[in-house]
Amino acid sequence: MRLGDGLENLAEFWRDFSKEKTGLAGLALLGIFILFGLFGRLLVPFPDALRHWRDISYWEDNPQAAPPAWTNAFRAKKGVASSILRAPKVTDQKQDDGSSIRTFAFSYDYEYDAPPRDVILEFTGSGQVPIKIEAQRPDGLWAELYADQIDFGGTSAERVSLARNSAEQVIGFVRDQDAAIGASLNEEFVKPVSILFSRIAPGMGVAPTALKGRYGFSLSAYLADPANKIEKPRFIVSGDVSGALGTDSSKRDIWTGLVFGIRWALIIGLLTSIVTVMVGMILGVVAAYFGGVLDWLLSRLFEFIYLLPVLPFLIVVSAIYKPTIWTFIVIICLFFWSGVFKPVYSMALQIKEETFVEASRALGSGRWRIVFRHIMPILLPYGFANMALSIPAIIVYEASVSLLGLGDATIVTWGQILHDAFIQGAVINNIWWWVVPPGLMIALMGMSFAFLGSALDKILHPKLKTR
Amino acid sequence: MYWKYVAKRALYGALMYVLMIFTYSVLFNSVAEKVLRAQIDEAAAQEVKKIKNVSQDELALMLEARREAKYAQYHLDEPLAARIFWRAVGTIDFHFGNSSIIKASNGDRAVIGIIGEALPNTVLLFTTEVVITVALGVALGLHAARRPNGPLDRTTSMLTMITNGLPSWWLGMILLMYAAYTARIFPSGGLHSNPVPTGFASFADLMWHLALPLITLVFLGVWTTAYVTRNIVLANLQEDFVMAARARGIPERRVLFGHTLRTSMPAIMTIAVLSLFASIAGNIIIEGVFGWPGIGNLYFIAVEQNDVPVLMSTLAIETLLTMVGFVILDLIYGFLDPRIKVGGRA
Repeated sequence: MRLGDGLENLAEFWRDFSKEKTGLAGLALLGIFILFGLFGRLLVPFPDALRHWRDISYWEDNPQAAPPAWTNAFRAKKGVASSILRAPKVTDQKQDDGSSIRTFAFSYDYEYDAPPRDVILEFTGSGQVPIKIEAQRPDGLWAELYADQIDFGGTSAERVSLARNSAEQVIGFVRDQDAAIGASLNEEFVKPVSILFSRIAPGMGVAPTALKGRYGFSLSAYLADPANKIEKPRFIVSGDVSGALGTDSSKRDIWTGLVFGIRWALIIGLLTSIVTVMVGMILGVVAAYFGGVLDWLLSRLFEFIYLLPVLPFLIVVSAIYKPTIWTFIVIICLFFWSGVFKPVYSMALQIKEETFVEASRALGSGRWRIVFRHIMPILLPYGFANMALSIPAIIVYEASVSLLGLGDATIVTWGQILHDAFIQGAVINNIWWWVVPPGLMIALMGMSFAFLGSALDKILHPKLKTR
Repeated sequence: MYWKYVAKRALYGALMYVLMIFTYSVLFNSVAEKVLRAQIDEAAAQEVKKIKNVSQDELALMLEARREAKYAQYHLDEPLAARIFWRAVGTIDFHFGNSSIIKASNGDRAVIGIIGEALPNTVLLFTTEVVITVALGVALGLHAARRPNGPLDRTTSMLTMITNGLPSWWLGMILLMYAAYTARIFPSGGLHSNPVPTGFASFADLMWHLALPLITLVFLGVWTTAYVTRNIVLANLQEDFVMAARARGIPERRVLFGHTLRTSMPAIMTIAVLSLFASIAGNIIIEGVFGWPGIGNLYFIAVEQNDVPVLMSTLAIETLLTMVGFVILDLIYGFLDPRIKVGGRA
């Protein structure tokens, strides 16, 4: 086959392929997956998640098991979308004695019906710094929420949670406005964040009405000498809904996990398909063309592999030897070449008797030349069609092994997300946003390969289109 | 002539089975021996503890002697190859022995009893599933083949591709989440309610528990069966005898259900027989998700607890069943197609 012939064949193949709508859909899906796999980092709110997936402190800003943000559209009472503000307005007030007061002012628009779960101010610094946190509400009232001296020891960031620290101050704030309402609030049971974001009215401790509008939060620090510092303040609103696909009960962003899962699904799918097609084709053609002892041996090997129960075998090997994802791929390849071997073998038996093979032999071509130049190119598309149809199964196998908790613990795959979901009771607690999306991704990835495979299959076996 | 073929095929199948058991034995060797040694050490220590009025040194000697005897009994004092050999032989002649951790409901540790307890549950769920799936799937496939590219055919092939990459256990989880925990129509798993009702109510209770896993499996399985049936039937419709039948003016219905179905039957039977044999092995994950106490569940518990005797016996039985399925199929083919048994090529 010369290059020109190859290109012409390819063009002809594309003409056939472009008529198959499912094939095009599969190709488009696969293209989207590949784009996401390559540029996924740019599309997720937590680009470093791959390294920190199992690191609890990396995720501490997220709310726990919060549904996706868009679920607000279906809710009468809009829940707060979790958000983080990083760019406050900074003002410095110099005192005569060289000390200064630094104030970080955050402005937060509150347009929801339910109060946030928590409001957290996070910052780093050095030295001993007295700080004060205040809020200006849309009704013009100022509330002091927190005042304490922070002693920065190490490098870790300080986090002030209003839900945990401000009950007393918030009640004091209400009491200043209306003594009777203030007296009705109990420090033990009241939710400070809920009071802060509600109208001051009788019964606000039990059934608060949201006070919507722009809130100003200010963090002021008294810096006694220039060595004392306060830096990198962040204003974290922990809400009822979070991100594109919500969070799991370890506060991880599910959308981020799904996008990073694409990579591994693609690697598993593409790598196994290429390896198994190559190995299966070569062995199949060699067995058919060379015949004799080689044929016998390879056919027995095929039967042996074919009879091994795949999933039980994978599970037990994973449990005993704790393989990485790469060994997993090798094991999968050991199993799945047999799926390509048999059809290629029987087709090669027919091709072997064709006249062009005979002609080539008469011209003095060697056996390997005939195998690689004459028989293999004809069978290649069949091999790939066959393989594309079995990739969904391979992705499901990886997910199944991961679901049982036997996957590679250094990567993120959809099966592992589902494992965590199942173990941590997502099914029982109806955390659907943790269970549905990873499964849909597995199904979609499988579908894209299945579509491709069936389109190839239809082009190669045109008879089955009609009766 | 045919009997010679039968004998050859059966012998060959048996050889393959032996080879596979040996593979398992090699694979599990290190774990199996670790577990076994731990058991023996513990048992020996228990026995020696009961002995009184002997000095410490004597006690240590007795412990050692006891251990040696047990090691010898289980061939642990022999070289590696021999140990692997003995384990394989023990599995092949069905001396599955006692489990290391898992117990049957009556406290018995015989592996045979443990498997015997799980097997009916698996058969109940998965064999029922295969029967329903094959019946529905073949019917659907035949109808799809009547009008290729018609609405039914398109739906079937579309659903085949969609369900192909859909993990059945995931669908199970979704159904559980909705039907068992949110809508509370079905139980959340297991074989029976607690306490188990008596009489007819017991049967109804069992069916109620069976429904959700069965629906999951049938819904996912039926499309593939239909699609494969459709392909087999369509391939047969290209044959000359179909054209001849049509030319003779035989109605299309009879061509399809009479002529074509008959020639398609062996291929469809293959799927049915293989699925039936495979069904007995259960499904590890579906059983786990639905808390169904069958073979698959047993297998996973065995993996988790490193209970190698149970593990190996389950795998052995599973492999044996698959092997028997293949041999039976080959025998049927050999019976139907005389070319196969003389070694010619079809």
